[in-house]
Amino acid sequence: MRLTEAETEKRYRVVSIVGGCHARDRLLKLGLIPGVIVELKRKAPMRGPFMINVNGSDIVIGRGIASKIEVESV
Amino acid sequence: MKTVALIGQPNCGKSTLFNQIAGYKSLAANFPGATVTYTKGTTYIGNELVEVIDLPGTYSLSWYDDAEKETVKALFSMDIDVIVNIVDASMLIRSIELTLELMALGKPMVVALNMIDEALKKGICIDVAKLQEVLGVKVVPIIAKKGKGIKELLASILKAEKPRKRCVYTRKTEEAIDRLVGCIREVQIQTRWPLKLMAIKAIEGFEPCVEEIRRTPCKGVLSQIRKELDNGMVIINERHALCMNIFEQVCRLKKVKKRRFDIDDLLMHPVFGYVAMLLIFMAIFYAVFRGGVPIENLVVNVFDAVDKYLATVVSGKLAFAIVKGAVDGVAAAMGIALPYLVPFLFAMSLLEDIGYLPRIAYLMDSTMHRMGVHGTSVISFVAGYGCSVPAVMATRILKSRKEKYITALLASMVPCSARTTVIMGLAGYFLGYGYVVFLYALNLLVILITGVILKRLLPGVSPEMIIDIPPYRLPTLKSLLLKTWQKVKDFVYLAIPMLIVGSVVLTLINYFRFDAYINAVFAPFLSGILGLPASVGVVLIFGILKKELTLIMLYQALGVAGIAAVGNVLTHQQILTFTVFVMFYIPCIATIAAINKEVGARVSTLIVIATLFIATLLALFTRVVF
Repeated sequence: MRLTEAETEKRYRVVSIVGGCHARDRLLKLGLIPGVIVELKRKAPMRGPFMINVNGSDIVIGRGIASKIEVESV
Repeated sequence: MKTVALIGQPNCGKSTLFNQIAGYKSLAANFPGATVTYTKGTTYIGNELVEVIDLPGTYSLSWYDDAEKETVKALFSMDIDVIVNIVDASMLIRSIELTLELMALGKPMVVALNMIDEALKKGICIDVAKLQEVLGVKVVPIIAKKGKGIKELLASILKAEKPRKRCVYTRKTEEAIDRLVGCIREVQIQTRWPLKLMAIKAIEGFEPCVEEIRRTPCKGVLSQIRKELDNGMVIINERHALCMNIFEQVCRLKKVKKRRFDIDDLLMHPVFGYVAMLLIFMAIFYAVFRGGVPIENLVVNVFDAVDKYLATVVSGKLAFAIVKGAVDGVAAAMGIALPYLVPFLFAMSLLEDIGYLPRIAYLMDSTMHRMGVHGTSVISFVAGYGCSVPAVMATRILKSRKEKYITALLASMVPCSARTTVIMGLAGYFLGYGYVVFLYALNLLVILITGVILKRLLPGVSPEMIIDIPPYRLPTLKSLLLKTWQKVKDFVYLAIPMLIVGSVVLTLINYFRFDAYINAVFAPFLSGILGLPASVGVVLIFGILKKELTLIMLYQALGVAGIAAVGNVLTHQQILTFTVFVMFYIPCIATIAAINKEVGARVSTLIVIATLFIATLLALFTRVVF
């Protein structure tokens, strides 16, 4: 499933970052690499951005970017 | 003179370190790059004078936004002797990624391991000697905020050496990289990038590097290697594994108790987060405006006294007019800067240093999205209610040009404190406060619609938001004052000269009685289209200098005894039309100068035309409908 379908306060494993995403390189730099475990911490209301925790740091990503991240439950 | 560049990821404490090194003894000055500014300063290390450059934070040498591009450009184009890589010890894994890239540049380098105290709190204990050995680069532990370790850092900057190791991938990967490097070396590619770094970035699919290579005969080799290495994922995975490996080698982890209450559960809550945000800003506005009014009155009184004194000293009417114009210009600047701007910018710096701003960006992103900008733009809008000048300057942190243009225009349309005076004094006084609320709602609606239109009209995409949410940090007074001063300085250098020159010109217009001509020129527009008396023409011209002048000068221009008498000459419909026009028309001269500086003369001209158009349209609409 995509990160946009994930539930808050749950942990997921990143499967892949779907191509054509302008931000792919940046996500990889922030440690969102296939295999890494992330926690979806919050979703802003009204189709807002997502806050996730990767390697102990909190980052906020736009919804469009989140929809390009394929994850699976752990 | 040696040049030292400070490079690090955002929020790693780079500027704090810069202020520690160059803050006191130097004249730090902002140098505008194409879009972002970096700060330069000079300082003595021992007896040697060195130049220190504070570059905007970047996660990686493959940039994602304008600010990062500026850093990379500066890094490649300037003669940098030593790189100081600031690393946030509490986020070591992510930070080492940048360190490894910087090492590939092959320049003398020192790693400043910052915030070791914060890392310890998080339960991360770093073996510095081991890290130094693994990286092959000098590592100095520091706590920039408290000024600890700075001396040792400065000493190692002078002795900095080139990295002993290069980032080592598996043999198969290294061979593939070497093949591409060999090819681009052969075709003698023209680039400032170190070839190996360029090859790695291209294999990873970083567009600017891929494009460079696509233009050469190495195109085939690149696509072949990209296929072999799974579009560069092999390199990325290997490097990440390396970072993890380094982290495991040098860090001991201790269990720390998790705090029971996370303040973000409140401040980023889907409902209470917005309530809290609203309360915080209402408190700031209330404090700034309540505190500002008496100070402004004081400034006005002081300059009135100066004017009176000058009238007795300066002989000659023309000379007096010019001197008075200049003094009034200074008065106008002081009247904004001292009472409103300084406290407001201080509050902004406080929110910035505590770490609240990224949280606002998170909360407001979805609303801002509809206008073609992202959460980060909200800072400009909020600042706009105080003064448009800092609002426009806040566009500096935005990622794309498209976002900057849209935000600069929209933020200048937000009614600043001067326009609030006019709205209150005219619409509020003569028509009732319901109209004031209506005008503010109308303003928001117009901004929203303009944003939606611009989003579709302007070319280009705004890259989506990817921001760090730093932990809340207690700011130090020193860094707050420095930050506030850096922002106020822009206003002082930019706006005050404009205000003085503008004021002198306007006084001369008055002196030579040009106002009749001006009114005659604007008469067809004012009385024909907007249905206003021609005599307000000169008032509107003065309003470009300082918006509250439109209120103060209105009764003089209309030839009545005081503001209260305006209602005898103008109908309610005319008053509302005038107020709407003043709310939207041309930004004041100081704002125009700020827009000029941030986004260029072409865009500022367009903004002047656009706001004039919008104001005319809305005023006409008011005249017809009301």
